[in-house]
Amino acid sequence: MLEVTNLEVVYHQVVLVLKGVTLRVPAGETVALLGPNGAGKTTALRAVTGLLDIHEGRITKGSVRFDGREVAGRRADAIVGGGLAQVMEGRRVLVDLSVEENLLAGAWSLPRREAAAELERAFERFAILADRRRQQAGYLSGGEQQMLAIARALMSRPRMLLLDEPSLGLAPRVVGEVAELISTLAAEGLSILLVEQNAAMALSVASHASILENGRIVREGPAAELAADEDVREFYLGLGGDGRTDYRRVKHYRRRKRWLS
Amino acid sequence: MSNLLQLCVSGLSLGTIYALIALGFVVIYRASTVFNFAHGEFLSFGAFCMVSLCAAGLPWGISLATAMVLTGALGAAVERVVLRPMIGRPVFVTIIVTIFVGAILRSAIFIAWGPQTRGMPTPWDPLTTFEVAGASLLANSVAAVAAGACALAAFFALVRRTKLGVAMRATASDQETALALGVPVGRVFAATWFLAGLFAALAGVFLGMFPRSVDTNLGFVALRAFPAVIVGGLDSAWGTVLAGVLLGVLEVLCQGYVNPHLGEFGKNLHAVFPYVVMILFLIVRPHGLFGTREVERV
Repeated sequence: MLEVTNLEVVYHQVVLVLKGVTLRVPAGETVALLGPNGAGKTTALRAVTGLLDIHEGRITKGSVRFDGREVAGRRADAIVGGGLAQVMEGRRVLVDLSVEENLLAGAWSLPRREAAAELERAFERFAILADRRRQQAGYLSGGEQQMLAIARALMSRPRMLLLDEPSLGLAPRVVGEVAELISTLAAEGLSILLVEQNAAMALSVASHASILENGRIVREGPAAELAADEDVREFYLGLGGDGRTDYRRVKHYRRRKRWLS
Repeated sequence: MSNLLQLCVSGLSLGTIYALIALGFVVIYRASTVFNFAHGEFLSFGAFCMVSLCAAGLPWGISLATAMVLTGALGAAVERVVLRPMIGRPVFVTIIVTIFVGAILRSAIFIAWGPQTRGMPTPWDPLTTFEVAGASLLANSVAAVAAGACALAAFFALVRRTKLGVAMRATASDQETALALGVPVGRVFAATWFLAGLFAALAGVFLGMFPRSVDTNLGFVALRAFPAVIVGGLDSAWGTVLAGVLLGVLEVLCQGYVNPHLGEFGKNLHAVFPYVVMILFLIVRPHGLFGTREVERV
């Protein structure tokens, strides 16, 4: 459904952030994109949703195809209207709007009546939000804001959802709720691209995963396979081969990585 | 007592006009954090259009609507041609650009309509007065209050109730998020400037009515609405409306009660009075009456 091929992105005409990334999200699947800070995960999402412009970024090579149609270079609102919605990193609820208005802002691409119907569906699914309907969104708790951000993205009736670090800054129990929600959405047939640093959570809900480091995909495969992989276990799940973390090796790895980049 | 009532009504009418002007500043500021220094020229453009359209024989109401739409279109055009390419540049640069847009428009208006002063046509006799409780109220003042109140009510209904209103507030709150949600931010900006133009024209028309008149200096009056913007809190629509009305009333009361007692010094003291209030506010309460208090979870 989403095919990113050989994507190269440059910021401010000099900073090469993605160095030929290839990524595929088949229809109805959940794919996780893992990687450390600054690897280019968010940039990859921006390239897909047309938000590179405002960050002075350009796609210099490669293509992004959604449902077989090229989306690179199209305007952000056209892309969302085409069935691709995203939840940005850090939730980004519109703090001074009410919960209901936040949701309505997500339904711009729908005619008014359908937006109203969609609003009711959102309140059915997210009971906490229904209770806080008229409340200012900035005063919701972190978990509620994340739910609101996801609900808002779903308002445009997307066929595919891009999630950027939905677990960021949430309590472990709330992370569990978010993971559960993602699984439910996936079971309903939504295609999902999940960008995460919380690898354990991401691998538990995804069917496939790719690991992005320094703008390149360094590993990819079925989630179960990656979760069992020695290196992934050590560097992303924090588990050593024998269940104990060998800090000397972690350090060595980091030093080596810095040299490589 | 009747004198007070008379002054209050004329203050209210001036205040409503200030509120309309200030609201034009605020809608643009909220959407794009740009302070539009060309706003005054929108005002005179609207007023001159009105004069010409009426002179061409169109009915008054249609002339007013046409003048408003034309000015709105001018606003949208300025946004599209001059400001859209500036998105992503420092806001400071954009603000400087609006000063130049203002200068260009002022010259263009001067070339098109010339330097002579004109009277603003009104469907009623411009000298009509109503007698209420012994005070004689100008029909023009009453009409300004009524029209301003209608326009402001329509604006708040638009912002609260419609899809465009939600999109405008979403864009004002967080541009990138609005983009990510599929809101066409560019078109929302254009709509914002269009609205500001509508208000500017309406304010310009009523500002040009007797006892005042229309000339190329009309644009500078917009700067007299500036204190209303600051006192109201730069990003609060309600605040500026309230501040605009209050400052208008204060200005006229000052003209009526304070100026005469100060002799030579009192001449035109009322014109600087709103600025005095503004400076006091900047010292004591710089975010204005209803300026943003950051929303923060604790």
